[in-house]
Amino acid sequence: MIDLDERHIEKRSFFGRLLLVYFFFGALFLFILYKTYSLQVSSYSSYEIAALKNKTKEVLIQPVRGIIYDRNGNILVNNVPTYDLIILPSRIKNLDEFIFNLSETINLSDEDIENVNKNFKQKALYNRELTIKKNLSHEEIAKFEVRSHKFGNAFVDVRYSRENKYPYLFSHAIGYVGGVNDEQLTSILKNQKLKQSETAFKYSGGFIKGKTGLENIYDKQLRGLFGRKSYEVDAAGKLLKEISFEKPINGKSLFTNLDLNSQKMAFEQMGERRGAVVALDLQTGAIVTYLSTPSFNVNSLSNGMSQSAFKKLLDDKDKPFFDRASQGRYSPASTIKPAIALFGIKEKIVDWNFTLDDPGFFVLPEDQRIYRGWKKGGHGIINMRDAIVESSNTFFFSLAYKSDINNLIEHLAQFGFGRNVCIDCFNPDTGLLPTPEWKMNNLNYGWFKGDTVNLGVGQGYLNATPIQLAYYSGFLASKGNIQGLSFIDGEAAINTTFKSDLSINNSDWEKIHSSMIGVIEDYKGTAKRLKPLKSYVVAAKSGTVELVSTETKEDYELVRKNIGNRDHAIIVAFGPMPNPKYAVSVVIENGESGGSVAGPVAIAVLNELIKE
Amino acid sequence: MKKRLDFKNFSIYFDQYLFIAITLLSIMGLFFLYSASQENITIVAKQAVFVGFGLLLMFAVSQPDPDFYKTFSGLFLLFSFVLIFLTYVFGNEINGAKRWLDLGFFTLQSSEIIKIALPIFLSSYLYNKSLPIDTKHTFIALILIGFIFALVAWQPDLGTGLVVFMSGGYVLFLAGLSWRFIGSAAGIFLLSLPFLWNNFLAPFQRQRVLTFFSPDSDPYGTSWNITQSKIAIGSGGINGKGYQEGSQAHLNFLPETETDFIFAVIAEEFGFIGVCILLSVFFFILVRCLYLAFNARDRFCRLTIGGLSLVFASTLFINLAMVVGVIPVVGMPLPFISKGGSSLLSFYLAFGIIISMATHKKLMQR
Repeated sequence: MIDLDERHIEKRSFFGRLLLVYFFFGALFLFILYKTYSLQVSSYSSYEIAALKNKTKEVLIQPVRGIIYDRNGNILVNNVPTYDLIILPSRIKNLDEFIFNLSETINLSDEDIENVNKNFKQKALYNRELTIKKNLSHEEIAKFEVRSHKFGNAFVDVRYSRENKYPYLFSHAIGYVGGVNDEQLTSILKNQKLKQSETAFKYSGGFIKGKTGLENIYDKQLRGLFGRKSYEVDAAGKLLKEISFEKPINGKSLFTNLDLNSQKMAFEQMGERRGAVVALDLQTGAIVTYLSTPSFNVNSLSNGMSQSAFKKLLDDKDKPFFDRASQGRYSPASTIKPAIALFGIKEKIVDWNFTLDDPGFFVLPEDQRIYRGWKKGGHGIINMRDAIVESSNTFFFSLAYKSDINNLIEHLAQFGFGRNVCIDCFNPDTGLLPTPEWKMNNLNYGWFKGDTVNLGVGQGYLNATPIQLAYYSGFLASKGNIQGLSFIDGEAAINTTFKSDLSINNSDWEKIHSSMIGVIEDYKGTAKRLKPLKSYVVAAKSGTVELVSTETKEDYELVRKNIGNRDHAIIVAFGPMPNPKYAVSVVIENGESGGSVAGPVAIAVLNELIKE
Repeated sequence: MKKRLDFKNFSIYFDQYLFIAITLLSIMGLFFLYSASQENITIVAKQAVFVGFGLLLMFAVSQPDPDFYKTFSGLFLLFSFVLIFLTYVFGNEINGAKRWLDLGFFTLQSSEIIKIALPIFLSSYLYNKSLPIDTKHTFIALILIGFIFALVAWQPDLGTGLVVFMSGGYVLFLAGLSWRFIGSAAGIFLLSLPFLWNNFLAPFQRQRVLTFFSPDSDPYGTSWNITQSKIAIGSGGINGKGYQEGSQAHLNFLPETETDFIFAVIAEEFGFIGVCILLSVFFFILVRCLYLAFNARDRFCRLTIGGLSLVFASTLFINLAMVVGVIPVVGMPLPFISKGGSSLLSFYLAFGIIISMATHKKLMQR
């Protein structure tokens, strides 16, 4: 018999200890209840979001880029649909068999098949489509459609390519599109408050962005807005069902002022030559012709180009990628003379009756240095009108010599030199309007009087881009009433801060026009050969840019053996006079004669524009 | 109330509270399992068979007198040993662990049986010893416990091994194990932790523990499970997402939904309200066991009820603590709810024995 007291003690010890463990578990129980409460009640919203994020997959939907038109409604750049053969890998059990059967209907290249094999597994896992052949022919589509019942998991659908209808004409003006890097993509999407995620592409090329030209400048407008589709997904990322759909907003079309016919004409005229042609509509300040040659095929760049073909273009010594119209720097040469003449009038250094005797050269009084004209023996007694018509250097050397350099620079800046004149050109160069400070800082030399004299004939440090020369031409034509240039109607008026305050009398403007008309119409005019090429009156000023300074014709004959050393040919022109509608500038590298080489191109473009 | 229903020639031993609570829990379990298994009726049907058989088993094993278990506890333990040895020899290897014995109609996890057999045996062993337990018997018991722990942990199944260890430890504790002994054992354990860490934990086990202490170190690897479990529970909110509507469970974000993480599925679909209802059933069962232990007829019954109910409580809380992210991930089922026949049957067995201990009175003692 167990002692009762002992039993009692043992029982109490047991109860005490059992209760102790129970209290421990009770505390644990409360703690777990508290923990669950904090998860489910206190932090509910953050976990709700986490669960939602887990099961939702957003797919971005690419918008289609806007179409680009010329001023007559001709389509310049379009989205060309191609019919692509697309399969649904997740529903295909035996790929080899499927491909084998399919290849009996549609011819698949080894490359196509390799591509499918490489991507099949991943696409199947995530329930995504896979393009197996691009750009099917009508025949292939028909063949496939007839047998499509055999291939439930394959279909033909539209994917776009960005296509310039005139790939060589507008390569610099409109530019090309291309892929974007991660950073660019992030910023593009950020504007729409979107994050980078999987995307349903409309373009075979995936994400695209304007890289150059108008495609780049107006990229935002052309691009449109991404749409998005939300799907429910499982842990493996498999798409289960559609939750919401926000349609993409396709890009807005771009109605440019470019003129297809004049562009074609310019392109034809330039042929194989290097140079640029820019023409403006004077009423609007709109750029109607914009060509840089040699050109390249923008489409092959936009829709994928092989590395070697790209390298070949890059290494081409004629630099087809280089946009000469906005970035090429050329001395304006004699085309600057009307602006210098206006300076002389404005500053009352000369008047229209002033004459001087041109012996064919100018001697700088300071150091007896000789500055030559183009005509041996000179132009004789000559007034300002004839100095423009015949392009007397001596007259303008002398005029520049009498000018204050700072005032002259300020005056030339009004004509667009040394600054950007185009609102929507891609990476425009500002050319160079040299100042004494510039020379000191960059060449470590002070400004010589001779530098001012050189400026009088547009040689020396001064240089300008063809777009600046076109602006200059337009400035002269409109008597200073021109806005900044633009490809798009209205852009110039809206965005411009250009304002000129040249105080030139209308009669002086008329006389400048008349002088420039004389360049073509007078029997002594430097561009008189252009007279028969047109049926209306054109004002012009030609120029010949000396790349190597020579004293005699014989010396130049030696120089011109190297084509790259030949003079550049330049002309600025506008018409029809007396109420000019279009202004044009033409630069032909190593073209030698502004009047007879660049001139015909300018006239042909004007003819084409005025005809319309 | 414990009851003895008198029929003319025999008595039925039955505790309606435990029986109703456990039946309720089992039915809830089947209901939850249907959703947690992605509406897999085969899994639920199989589980239902275990539930039905288990309830019968529980009823059957509550009929014999506790003396029967006292007498045969050694045999029961021996039988469990045999099962474990058979597992070592013939067991199915799954994920590098030999824990299951294929019996043809069902694969048995032998360690689930021994966690019941061990406390019964120890209670019986200590029945006629003088209590509080003395040093000699403490060491005898500890050697036995340690040996069984090693057998199970070696499979390897550290989680169940620890529960087995606890099942023996609880009986010793309830039998009056001296505090000084407990203190020094705890001290030795703490000191040898670094050694145990390096020599006795498999790399995956160490990884689990490390991830637990710095969950951000590896958000898509080892801590994925616990992160997803918390998201499932938290996103359930107060009312839950509705039956079969849990996105974490149904879209496969949550792992092991049918077994270890079934509580997260319940919390996601039934919210805090559902959790409270479920936990109150468990709470009721534990409180009932406490009451039964207090009113048990003798030392053997007391120790057995105490030991078995604490094994049940330990399994329950380890599972819950793991799922809510309070302790590292260990494989531990939610009793009566998680899929798995062995664990289910072992608890029916345990509660059958508890009922037997609680309902049989020794008339001669009055």
